[in-house]
Amino acid sequence: MVTPIGVDLDAFWSGLLGGGHALTAIERFRTDDLRVGRGGEIKKVPAVASGIRSRAAALLVAAAADLKSRAPLGAAPERIAVVAGTALGGVEELEHALEDDPAPRRALDALYDAPAHTLADWLGARGPVLTVSAACASGATALGVGADLLREGAADLVVAGGYDVLCRFVLRGFDVLRSLARERVRPFDRRRSGLLLGEAAGLVLLARERDAHGPRLGRLLGHGSASDASHVAAPHPDGRGLEAAIHAALAAAGVAAGDIDFVSAHGTGTPLNDRIETSVLRRVLGRRAEAVAVNSIKGALGHTMGAAAALEAIMCLLAAREGLIPPTAGYEEPDPACDLDYVPGACRSATPRLMLSTSLGFGGCNAALVLEAA
Amino acid sequence: MNAGVRLAGVGLLTGWGDGAGALPAEARVAAAGRAVLPLARPSVAGERFRRATRECLLGVQAVSAALADAGLDREAIRGDGTALIYVTAGAYGASNAGFIGAGVASPARAEGGSAGPLHFPYTAPSALPGEVAIEFGLTGAYVILIGGAPATIDALWQAGLLLAQGRCERALVLAVETFEECEALWRRARWTLPLPLVETAACALLVAGAAPAAYRAVAGAGPLERAVETRAGRTLAAAPLVALALARAAGERAARVTGSWRGRTASIELTLSGHTAQV
Repeated sequence: MVTPIGVDLDAFWSGLLGGGHALTAIERFRTDDLRVGRGGEIKKVPAVASGIRSRAAALLVAAAADLKSRAPLGAAPERIAVVAGTALGGVEELEHALEDDPAPRRALDALYDAPAHTLADWLGARGPVLTVSAACASGATALGVGADLLREGAADLVVAGGYDVLCRFVLRGFDVLRSLARERVRPFDRRRSGLLLGEAAGLVLLARERDAHGPRLGRLLGHGSASDASHVAAPHPDGRGLEAAIHAALAAAGVAAGDIDFVSAHGTGTPLNDRIETSVLRRVLGRRAEAVAVNSIKGALGHTMGAAAALEAIMCLLAAREGLIPPTAGYEEPDPACDLDYVPGACRSATPRLMLSTSLGFGGCNAALVLEAA
Repeated sequence: MNAGVRLAGVGLLTGWGDGAGALPAEARVAAAGRAVLPLARPSVAGERFRRATRECLLGVQAVSAALADAGLDREAIRGDGTALIYVTAGAYGASNAGFIGAGVASPARAEGGSAGPLHFPYTAPSALPGEVAIEFGLTGAYVILIGGAPATIDALWQAGLLLAQGRCERALVLAVETFEECEALWRRARWTLPLPLVETAACALLVAGAAPAAYRAVAGAGPLERAVETRAGRTLAAAPLVALALARAAGERAARVTGSWRGRTASIELTLSGHTAQV
């Protein structure tokens, strides 16, 4: 993986455990005309391959290089699939194509599926190459689609995850929406005032149980999705779609809500999201809700959009492996409307076995994953 | 996959007109040098469509056309029993380019123009299926895939999988491609995407059937894919659904559809229902 808090898996994990954040002044493009010019910017993307012009593709390839160093791709090229989730694809290339670069390749790079094909080429993967764009639920849906490819025998290995870049297009969009925090990002905190954006790429190697050789991080037991059908830009006021997605994921996993012992929340830090998500988790988890640890890593990284759910799934599995749950960075003052255990302050010793990860996005997209420790 | 899948209806709107019968014999000749064959903005009634983009409205209209072809009313698909799988290669281009082009100088200017607060969420590819879900009350599973024709083959496979696993009772595979607003950009890519580009909104309604959908990678384009390119022109992600419309109109009982893009070709075989329309 490559993230603002660390440009490989180990640095990401130690960064999260530290409880700090990587939200800084953006240096790569101008922000002087925007209300907020901070975010989770990766100051130096590891240079893995030459000839990759798009930052989105560069992030994906950097994440894939980290993955390959830990998990070799032991399958025939035509049996290796790539499933990449993204909210923005190559939109930064569209900015260049419209403003300063008339090259034909820029125009094709602007298509949202271009970075996934660059990744497949770099990996030498010749199986299915899919790009999922379910806004900020993309990473979760990509992992689910990847698992489906394995289950149905369409591939033997799937490199799946999500990515997005922090660019002027998206920063201006959220700035106009007034969704960005002027102060620190504080998921579930009484003083929370919005999100900050981040950029990242996170990939996992998925294999069927019988084909998984060597050490494994964990299992993806089930995934679910559901549409709000209520508003293009705001979540359903009761979290109807999110609740349905969670129930679908639990059903697919064959586990009960009462078996979940850790939740990685979407937890953006906006007043609306965190309140709705809390009420959904209360309904789903029932009487056990207060006993289940819930965290958000967006206070540390920012909201990395298409990458977010992939990073959060990896975080869940690392938490189970290492016996430590990272804190919700920025959470200090409880809010009566957000009254669960958000892992304040410092990382916590715990060994969760079954974990739930939730995601929401524009268009009324909701997705959930159920994960199991290795 | 254990259970089967069947095509119950397909709605097709192209720059040539409505339905498979509107397609010319030879798209390149009929285009007469035009690079893009556009679709008009549908006149869909309702205040809530005031901000919706042209492509969102085309998506709504394509779903309505699929329902009409299947002989169903909109209530038949309402609720969580219907999955929605949306595919496009580039229908988000118009809203993206519009947002980039508007309000660059300052946030204050942005709010007054087409880059206002509610314009930005419409730049997301998920806005189109979001509007469709709102219009038809679809609260079931969804997938949104980006890419050319193989992505739609993947979408048809996903639909079959959701049906086979009992995660839905019916599935809509919706593909929309628009080119007009970004014609200059598409022209730059004409060496890899020969013209004419034909705007298309198409939707397939799939239900459980007897025969499973056979999904695989193949070496090259099949006859239906070549027929679509000859008759419709370049329709990118919509091409496999145009193929299904052609096969259904011809009274075929089954169709093997291929789709090619960026060097990859995927294939799926589907059972078509008995009802046929006139070409």
